[in-house]
Amino acid sequence: MNSPIERKPEQIDWASKNYLVVDDFIGVRQLLRESLRSLGARNIDQAASGGEAIALLAKTRYDVVLCDFNLGDGKNGQQVLEEARARHFLLPSSVWMMVSAEKSVESVMGAAEHQPDAYLVKPITEGVLLTRLNRAWHRKQVFRPIDQAYAEKDYLRAARLCDEQIGASRVHEIDLLRMKARLMEKSGEPEKARETYERVLSQREYQWARAGLAKIRMANGELEQARQMFLGVIAENRYYIDAYDQLAQVYQNMGKYDEACTILERATKLSPNSVPRQRNLGQVCLKLGNVAMAERAFRKCIAIGEYSVRKTPDAYLGMARVCGLKNDPKEALVLLAAAQREFGAEHPDMPLRAKITEGLVYHESGDYRHARKAGDELEVQLNARPERPDVPTCLEMATLLFAVGVKDAPVELLCYVARNNHDNAVLLDEVQAIFEKARMGEEGAALIRASKKEASDLMNQGVLLWKTGKLDEAVAWMRSARNKLPNNQRILFNAAQVLVSHMKEKGHDELLAAEAHEVLAHVDQLQPGQQRFAQLMEQLAALAPKGETVEEMPPPSEPAA
Amino acid sequence: MDDTQHSQQLALFLASTAHDMKNSISVLSGTLERLLDGASPQAGSADPRLAQMAQMLYQTRRLNDNLMQLLALYKKVGQPEYPFDVQPIPASELAEQVASLGRVLLQSRGIVFDVEVDPDLIWHVDEDLIVGVVSHAVNNAVNYTHDRIRLALRRDGEVLEIRVEDNGGGYPQALLDAGAEAMSGISSGVDFRTNSAGLGLYFAREVARMHRHRGRHGAVRLENGGAFGGGCFILTLP
Repeated sequence: MNSPIERKPEQIDWASKNYLVVDDFIGVRQLLRESLRSLGARNIDQAASGGEAIALLAKTRYDVVLCDFNLGDGKNGQQVLEEARARHFLLPSSVWMMVSAEKSVESVMGAAEHQPDAYLVKPITEGVLLTRLNRAWHRKQVFRPIDQAYAEKDYLRAARLCDEQIGASRVHEIDLLRMKARLMEKSGEPEKARETYERVLSQREYQWARAGLAKIRMANGELEQARQMFLGVIAENRYYIDAYDQLAQVYQNMGKYDEACTILERATKLSPNSVPRQRNLGQVCLKLGNVAMAERAFRKCIAIGEYSVRKTPDAYLGMARVCGLKNDPKEALVLLAAAQREFGAEHPDMPLRAKITEGLVYHESGDYRHARKAGDELEVQLNARPERPDVPTCLEMATLLFAVGVKDAPVELLCYVARNNHDNAVLLDEVQAIFEKARMGEEGAALIRASKKEASDLMNQGVLLWKTGKLDEAVAWMRSARNKLPNNQRILFNAAQVLVSHMKEKGHDELLAAEAHEVLAHVDQLQPGQQRFAQLMEQLAALAPKGETVEEMPPPSEPAA
Repeated sequence: MDDTQHSQQLALFLASTAHDMKNSISVLSGTLERLLDGASPQAGSADPRLAQMAQMLYQTRRLNDNLMQLLALYKKVGQPEYPFDVQPIPASELAEQVASLGRVLLQSRGIVFDVEVDPDLIWHVDEDLIVGVVSHAVNNAVNYTHDRIRLALRRDGEVLEIRVEDNGGGYPQALLDAGAEAMSGISSGVDFRTNSAGLGLYFAREVARMHRHRGRHGAVRLENGGAFGGGCFILTLP
């Protein structure tokens, strides 16, 4: 045979790599092993189940993993991949090939963060395997510096690296543009993300790019346009599941919970094994009072969560609500205890959230005496610890506490929310509404005004010190402001800004840099995707002394939404 | 409610059976390839057992292709239900995969395989489907060729043209007719009972038509002529 196909100039040495083959069928494992051996591979481990695979992945850093999606009972291939990424069992250069008997729905459904490097459809032959391995490997090389910057959350640098690579590697152009668009979204630059998606669409009608445009519309409040675009994507490819999830969000933002429920139900039929999707379905059903469907969704969510790193306490809390609505508070308490056992270690708010749900369950089932008791216990818990949970939990808690007749604790909570979000008008309206529902409208308005003033006074003093060049004092002032208002994003951003200015003026300082990173990481956790975050991260990275060896970071893998 | 549950269980059962069958066939054809590959360097075409093994490999391939096509059609290739997955793929890598899939079979039959491809050409295709369709066309050409098959990929205006040509006596009229029908899009025109190539052509047409861009879609056709004056299978994708 004479084949004039030019080989790639840089040949990859596949012989010296470490391989893991995961398949529950021994015949296939042997066949794959033989195929790899014919590429020269010597170090090939095998696993017959997801559990075995995880045990091997924990011990050895593999260069290549060939993993069947369908592994019988226990974890499936996707769950093995997610766990391996979450537990940092993979090298940044590791190639993960997901194998399946048929073209899998997952391969086109669009949740790019959780994708393997390639999908292979059986039967796998040597030539196809080699071509796909080479491609995935080259792609990794191209993306390596980008992934590194991404992991460091220096999104603007990562986006610049994408631009540089686009000219150099035409094969990966579309992939690079996809990454760039995501980076622009994360940097709070929707206009640049939109341009990037448009650039892709000028070449081909890629559904993820169309869906990207729709997401930008949704974020912009153009809900009707977003709705139509997502419907268009689904009509074009009904397996593009991400569009269903987004469309459901559009409907929720429109207040159309019936439609959101219908679309999520369709999505869970097509792709049932997603923890966040089942949770969303359950929560929408609860809002609609569709107890039977909520129960199915939460049960499924708990079942698939058993083998997934993305398991969530929300499913247990939701299921407890279902039990309450079915007038079975005993079963609800069992579930709440289970949630605290399962998640208590990683979720410090678990006791609070379990107690809130307990109160809700009693309140909804008309047992006002026990509801009040739960409220009193909540108040005790709140007084015992200074930290406050996230904003939605605070609002939920305040609502419940007012409803069961507790007064001081919810007022304190709402003032806390107002102080830490003094410039968020939408949220302050919500807070006001809760006060009004508790027949405290006027008192609430005064409290909100006072909270706003306290926050802006703290901030203005810091800004004044900064603007007048008293940088040391500004740093100290913002530090104490952060102590008083630990979750106020404006204050956090300004604290980081003052730290960056200090270093720009007086030189790099490791302690100040670490403090700035900590502050920014916290604000990004409170609300990801802000422009100021990306800009400050970039400035901070630029201040770091050159030649500093940067430790290798794991590839980007986002936590469960 | 019970009905959908039953049909869901049936679908699960069918899917897992198909999975098993595919595993078995891939082990079978993989093992045959390895045996043949180990034996052929000594120009062992004199050994009649090797020729028989080559025939077995050819038949296993046909079985595999047919099963895959049936399963794919069962999963409604060509319908919006199929998880169609377009990516930018270098044409050279499409050719590389088709060549490697055919290598042992072609070698054992003493067939020379020529590949011509523009190394810079990148096209947006569903790679698995296209490699499957073109490989099947190569396997088919094994039946018609004298001793040479040519695979050529090039850009022709706004489309990618993939040609599989052989130096045999050309396709019989019945097959050309079937090809013309497949092209014209009268799906009922393909007679699965009398025409063994019907399934392959039908599948190829469905795959071609799924590839759409700016109001155009892909197509297949069969003709006689080409570089060697034999049969030509031509797939064009927008």
